[in-house]
Amino acid sequence: MLRFIQILSYGFLNGALYGLVALGLSLVFGVMNYLMIAHGGLIMMAAYATFWAFFYTRIDPFLFILVVTPLFFIIGWILFKVLFQSLMKFPEGEKIKNSLLISFGLLLIFSNLAILFWTADERAVTTVYSGKVLDVFGVRLPYIGLGGVAIAIIVIIALHLFLTRTYFGKAIRAVSLDHEAATLMGINVNKVCLVAFSIGFALAGIPGVITSLHAFNPAISFELTNKALIVLILAGVGSIKGVLIGGFFLGAIEAAGVYLVGTPYREVFGLILFVLILMFRPQGFAGKKA
Amino acid sequence: MLKVHQVDVHYGDIQALWNVSFRVENGEIVSLIGSNGSGKTTVLKTISGVLSLTKGSVTIDGVRSDTIKAYQIVEQGVSLVPEGRRLFRDMTVLENLELGGYIGRVRPQKDENLKWIFKMFPVLAERVQQLAGTLSGGEQQMLAIARGLMSEPKLLLVDELSLGLAPLIVKHIYMTLREINRSKKMTILIVEQNVRLALEISDRGYIIENGRITGEGKGSELLKSDKVKSAYLAMG
Repeated sequence: MLRFIQILSYGFLNGALYGLVALGLSLVFGVMNYLMIAHGGLIMMAAYATFWAFFYTRIDPFLFILVVTPLFFIIGWILFKVLFQSLMKFPEGEKIKNSLLISFGLLLIFSNLAILFWTADERAVTTVYSGKVLDVFGVRLPYIGLGGVAIAIIVIIALHLFLTRTYFGKAIRAVSLDHEAATLMGINVNKVCLVAFSIGFALAGIPGVITSLHAFNPAISFELTNKALIVLILAGVGSIKGVLIGGFFLGAIEAAGVYLVGTPYREVFGLILFVLILMFRPQGFAGKKA
Repeated sequence: MLKVHQVDVHYGDIQALWNVSFRVENGEIVSLIGSNGSGKTTVLKTISGVLSLTKGSVTIDGVRSDTIKAYQIVEQGVSLVPEGRRLFRDMTVLENLELGGYIGRVRPQKDENLKWIFKMFPVLAERVQQLAGTLSGGEQQMLAIARGLMSEPKLLLVDELSLGLAPLIVKHIYMTLREINRSKKMTILIVEQNVRLALEISDRGYIIENGRITGEGKGSELLKSDKVKSAYLAMG
């Protein structure tokens, strides 16, 4: 029993990271119907950025969130202008297809660049508190994982407040519901999309920092994109609040799978879940019927 | 106030408006009447900048508006209440109204404007926290108009507000518009299939057929004209 609780709580801690991983993807897809599958690649790049920054400065990696997030915001801004702005005028279906193609290309470029520069070796940022655990009635909770949960909750609450309490946040939601009606309110839809897209990139920086504290390598970009898509489907498209719950759920399912069948099959359970959700509840848990 | 001058509009290769010219003076209610597919909605979408014209010009208070972006036209004082209402259904009534008052110029007056709007449409005051999509049809139309008013427009464009609503509610909403026109001196351009109702509350009207303006006159005169009687009112 203790072993089950132990595995489940690992799943829970992982789940917070999955939620963070999916957050940017969900925002971008909800607002402009761009399926940014390069998202996992961005997170991987952010993990390398944190790794090297830590290697040279030895400053606590969690603090790099304050640097990596704005840096990725700017990268998102530039990439939107260069690659994604021209898709704005396409009809919805075309937007998904074209953004899928472009971002798949980006994903390949990112992971191959990472292999080229930093080899395919597994790396991890090792801090003084790496491997240290908090013991709760015999259940061991790593500090890094707990830090990840805290950050995930803070980030999601902050994003939620931004989207519901500020004029610009409300404009983002209005654009996600109806581009033309938003224009009639005097909202500059192009600018809103540019900013939302850049926020999506910035939101890749945060899980990137947390990923750097676990073991990672260039191939992780595909794995993370995979997780993000599963959480996106679980949460329901465009649901920010559902993302964290979806992440926890995926983490728990994976943990249960590991407990019952064994570690090699961890990925399988997420994918089975993905197919089941698409078959029986395609609108996701939090999403409404289309 | 509003001057539409020899405007052509195309949807791809298909021409929808042909040399359309008309004007709306300060403080007037003017209606644009015509049957399905005659180009009424196209005219409103062109004025609000959602569609771009291929020939001619649109000026508001002497300033060209067809050369600027659609979202900037709201700043110029034009607000469109679109056909089918186009509310943000998953957002609350209050959020819809706040988005109506999104442009920077009107944000400081938000509370004042809300107070005024709740006086005009008391039913909305009771529903502020409700999702827009859960309102009844009539309430949704009121919200759409209220949202359009939040940007303090000089010119309000109202597209087909009677669509799918009970006649009594439609009448009530039109009376409210009349009141707003009188008390706020707001200029209103109405597009409507319900010709009798539209002409009754309008100072003047234009008839549009197959994308061309084919007649104009005072509201009361048009109501009595043989052309309108036979074509739109099923009389004579």
